[in-house]
Amino acid sequence: MTRIRLSSKICIVICCLLSFIRYVSSLSITVTSVECISENVMYDDDVVYGNFVVVDHEIFWTSDHPGIDLTITSPGGNIVRSLRGTSGDKFEFRAPQSGVYNFCFHNPWSTPETVSFYIHTGHIPNGNDLAKDEHLDPVNVRIAKLREALESVTAEQKYLKAREIRHRYTNESTRRRVIIYTVAEYLFLAATSGLQVAYVHRLFSKSTGYNRV
Amino acid sequence: MVDLYRVLLVVLMLGVVAKTGQSLRFDLQSGHTKCIAEDMKSNSMTVGKYSTVNPDEGHPLPQSHKLTVRVTSAYGNSYHHSDHVESGQFSFQAVEEGNYMACFWAADHKPQTTITVDFEWKTGVAAKDWTNVAKKGSVEVMELELKQLHETVKSIHDEMFYLREREQEMQNLNKATNSRMAWLSFLSLVVCLSVAGLQLWHLKTFFQKKKLV
Repeated sequence: MTRIRLSSKICIVICCLLSFIRYVSSLSITVTSVECISENVMYDDDVVYGNFVVVDHEIFWTSDHPGIDLTITSPGGNIVRSLRGTSGDKFEFRAPQSGVYNFCFHNPWSTPETVSFYIHTGHIPNGNDLAKDEHLDPVNVRIAKLREALESVTAEQKYLKAREIRHRYTNESTRRRVIIYTVAEYLFLAATSGLQVAYVHRLFSKSTGYNRV
Repeated sequence: MVDLYRVLLVVLMLGVVAKTGQSLRFDLQSGHTKCIAEDMKSNSMTVGKYSTVNPDEGHPLPQSHKLTVRVTSAYGNSYHHSDHVESGQFSFQAVEEGNYMACFWAADHKPQTTITVDFEWKTGVAAKDWTNVAKKGSVEVMELELKQLHETVKSIHDEMFYLREREQEMQNLNKATNSRMAWLSFLSLVVCLSVAGLQLWHLKTFFQKKKLV
C-alpha cells in the first residue's frame, strides 16, 4: 500500500514516485476450502502478475499433487483467469479496469493445503501522467520501468524458491522412504522365514502325530 | 461444527529478499486467534504496524474492538506484547533466524463481532526508513529512487547465492540417496540369500536330529 502524505511539494513528488510501488504481497496460506485475497489495482491497464506453489503434504500413492484451483475475478465480476488443478503456476494479465481484484483459491480435496503465492501490480507512468504532473520527468518513466523489471525478477525468484522447497520436501521424503521401507523389508523377510521354520517344526512335532512324513 | 479456537496460520515467505512491505487486511472474529508468520534471516531489521479498522466512520471504536498482540521468535522468545489496544507498532532486529510469529487475539464478546485488522510488516530493504535518509542530506528524490533500486539489486544478488547454495545441498542429498538405494538393494539380496541359507541349514540339522534324513 502506498503511504500517502499530503504536506509539502517534495512529499507530493515522493508520493508520486512511491506510487509506482504497488501492493506487493508474498505469503502462504492454508486453504481448507476457499480462501480469497483482494488486491487493489489503482490504474487501468496496469500489469498484474504473480505465481503460486502448493507446498505439499505427504503424498502417498499418486506421483504429483492433485492441485488446487485459482480464480481471478475483476471488479466487474468477470473471471479474468481460471487455473484448475495445478500444483503451481504463473499468471500475468493486463487489468482492463481499476478496482479491487479477487484472487480466490479453491481446494476441492478434504485435506487443507498450504499455498505460497506472490502477487504484484505494477504501474508505469505513460504520456498522460507525464502531461498531468509537471514534476514527472521522462527519467522517472525509465526508473519506473527499471523498478518493474526488478520486481519481475523478484517474483521469479520467489517462485523458484517455493518450488525448491517443494522439491526438497519430496527428496527428503524419498530418502526417508528408502531407508524405512528397506529395513522394514528385511525385518519382514526374517519374520516370514522364522514363521516358516516354526510351522515346519510344528508339522514334525511328536504331539501332532506326523512322525511318519 | 463450531471450532472456537481455529488458528489460521499465514506464513509470509519473504526470506532474504523483502523489497516492499505488505499491508494486508484480515478479519478476526472475537475469541479467535490469527497468526501471521514470517521467515527472517539473522540480523535483519523489521518493522510492523497494526491497527483496527473502524467500521463506523465518525463514531468511536466500540469497547469490544481491542486486540492483544504478541510477537515471538521461532525459539519462543517474546519480542513484543501488547494487551487490549486498538493500534500499535513494533520494531526490532531479528537476532535469531527462523519463523517469527505475530499472533492477534480479539477479546471474547457475546454477539460474535468481526474485527478488521490492518497489518503492515516490513523486513529487510523495506524496513529502512527512506524518508529519514532523504531528510538527512538534501538528497534528491531521484537519487533516493536509484539508491532504493541499488539495494534491491543487491538483495536479488544475495538471494541468487542463497538459492544456489540450496541447490547444491539438494544435489548432495540426491546423490547420497542414490548411492544409499544401491547399497540397500544389494544388502537386501544378501539378506534374502542368507535367510534362505540359514533356513535350509536349520531344517537339515532338525531333520537329521529327528533321524528322518
